[in-house]
Amino acid sequence: MTRVYVGMSGGVDSSVSAALLKQQGHDVTGVYMKNWTQDLPGMKCPWAGDLADAKRVAVQLGIPFKVFDFQTEYKQKVVDYMIAEYQAGRTPNPDVMCNQEVKFKVFLDAALADGAEKIATGHYAQVGVFEGVSALLTAVDAAKDQTYFLYRITEAALAKTIFPLGGLTKPEVRQKAAALGLATAVKKDSQGICFVGKVGIKDFLQQYVHAKPGDVVDKKTNKILGQHDGAIFYTFGQRHGLGVGGGLPYYVVGKDMAKNIVYVTTNLNDENLWRDELELAHLHWINGAPQPGVTYQVRMRYRAPLIKCKITKISESGLRLKLEDPERAITPGQSAVIYDGNRVAGGGIVV
Amino acid sequence: MDSIYLDYAAATPLDASVLQAMEPYFTELFYNPSSSYLAAKKVRQDVEEARARVAHWLGAKPGEVIFTAGATESISLAINGVMRNYPKCEVLALAIEHDAVLATTKQYNHALIPVKPDGALDVDAFKKMLTDKTVLVSVGYANNEIGTIQNLKDIATILQEARRLRQLKNINLPLYLHTDASQAYYLDLHVSRLGVDLLTLNGAKMYGPKQTGVLFVKTGLELAPLHIGGGQERGLRSGTENVAGCIGLATALDICQTNRKEEIVHLNILRQELERRILQALPQIQVNGSQKKRLPSILHLSWPNIDGERLLMLLDERGVMASTGAACAANKDTKSQVLQAIGLDQSLAQGSLRLSLGRPTTPSQIQDASTRIIQAVKEC
Repeated sequence: MTRVYVGMSGGVDSSVSAALLKQQGHDVTGVYMKNWTQDLPGMKCPWAGDLADAKRVAVQLGIPFKVFDFQTEYKQKVVDYMIAEYQAGRTPNPDVMCNQEVKFKVFLDAALADGAEKIATGHYAQVGVFEGVSALLTAVDAAKDQTYFLYRITEAALAKTIFPLGGLTKPEVRQKAAALGLATAVKKDSQGICFVGKVGIKDFLQQYVHAKPGDVVDKKTNKILGQHDGAIFYTFGQRHGLGVGGGLPYYVVGKDMAKNIVYVTTNLNDENLWRDELELAHLHWINGAPQPGVTYQVRMRYRAPLIKCKITKISESGLRLKLEDPERAITPGQSAVIYDGNRVAGGGIVV
Repeated sequence: MDSIYLDYAAATPLDASVLQAMEPYFTELFYNPSSSYLAAKKVRQDVEEARARVAHWLGAKPGEVIFTAGATESISLAINGVMRNYPKCEVLALAIEHDAVLATTKQYNHALIPVKPDGALDVDAFKKMLTDKTVLVSVGYANNEIGTIQNLKDIATILQEARRLRQLKNINLPLYLHTDASQAYYLDLHVSRLGVDLLTLNGAKMYGPKQTGVLFVKTGLELAPLHIGGGQERGLRSGTENVAGCIGLATALDICQTNRKEEIVHLNILRQELERRILQALPQIQVNGSQKKRLPSILHLSWPNIDGERLLMLLDERGVMASTGAACAANKDTKSQVLQAIGLDQSLAQGSLRLSLGRPTTPSQIQDASTRIIQAVKEC
């Protein structure tokens, strides 16, 4: 029997995680992590419903329940990071930061300090232990595998982590929740970035960043095609919402943040849109760096297919990756995660 | 396991005879009461008859009864209606009022009247707060959370004296007393005995339909309407009358007021039994609200160092439906205004439980509920 603190968000996945741990005979405590949210007019506590759901499941399972307040840490490490990245013209991934900085650092530390031996979450991923070394492995349900968001976890954190859902499929988790009569059994999965909420990323950013209108320029002809309302709102490869109508569809193929210009093209085969080489920075390896020349697989976005790749150059600070096939819209700021079979080696941020 | 509903202060089931009285007005008697044909005039007559029945229980003239779409609207019409006519003046509201009162009051120059630990208006503080700029005072008849009943007659007497002094000083501003009587439907509602100028009733709390309400407006009191249009309800509440709702509310009030003494006895016996059983098993409990003047339907309890929300969920698992005063337990900033105003310690406020009884509550339900509550608290 292990003393496990399970992060309960009020969703079905973490509910079933807690239930499974309880069934396995562990000493389980549910913890709701209070992360930073925006106060919206007319709504007293937007997160109160999720907290109540988490608490209700804890009551149903007969386990103790606590609330950990991580608002300050979350705002600094996740929200401010995201805003800064957008300001720099990149498209960040706040979920990756949330896992690295909050769930598997601040929460882990707080739980251990409170008497836990291990933590657990509702992520679809697995921990494998080989000769005393903990590794991050993909989930059995390939369609739900969330290791993409978890690649910045440390080996030490993994050694203290349980992913109870790693061997289950989503339908099995729903079934389990229904069979146990959990209050969250039919609750919809959350979508998008939680703290942005219902306003959408653009409206959210507009409150923190003073965006100015600028030109949409055809990359080939250098002709001004129209106006955009702020280069930070545009993402590489984006087609819609450019405000340039008529004829062939345009795609974003570059941004000049200093000049506030968004470059577009109608050329579907644009060299910037399709690349088979990329550079990563801010590297993180779970069990040590991968080897140059060996064939690995890389994933460019959540649930995207794995692409065969080889490392052509690697150092402490960065690496260069050669893909077997060209990939569309490799986006600065996004994470590229490198897999060695079903094991996550780690990865970095696209430069 | 039978479920036991102990949240009648939140919502009440529609009385069967109320539903029956309403039914014809959805179908064969659907006419617009303002239309000129005889069939519509019959409907008009029924609405006016319902108004007269409400007026009867209030000791008011039928013309002083305005039908609204619920207590929040009645309160809004009362407070906004007065304050829009006197925008530079001031409104006083009791600190433990419902949000409908507090939020509306906060739009204007205002002050909140403090209460004693038992929830009763602090008379000395109130007297000092009254100024020559005060035009409206809003004091709920009975509190929805802790059940404390205010002595409206005494408050009205203080206002009467203030009005007299104003006359001597040649100050022409009016001074009105509004009461939200949503929870007080089985108490004496006679407006002249209470001394109020404006009174709000809520159909949904008295086994009537939801979204129905009444505002009593004393003759001579001028209100600014919230919205204008067809000029219904003396121009104070334009819009075709919710005929079935008016009939339903009047019927519901008839039942409550006709049997109100029996109802009070019934509720009192059950509430005392519930209180006795819980206190006997769990002596560290605090009972909130006035011990002398409290709604017989409400039992509000606090435990030190218990999470009220968790307790509610444990009770729900055991088939007991109740409510907690602390709306947002984990958020320290949003504890119940009522519990804050009565000066309840934070650890007690977090562990609060409101049990509210109703007409269908039975002695065996009270027995079962108290057993389940005692168990749940021990597990919490």
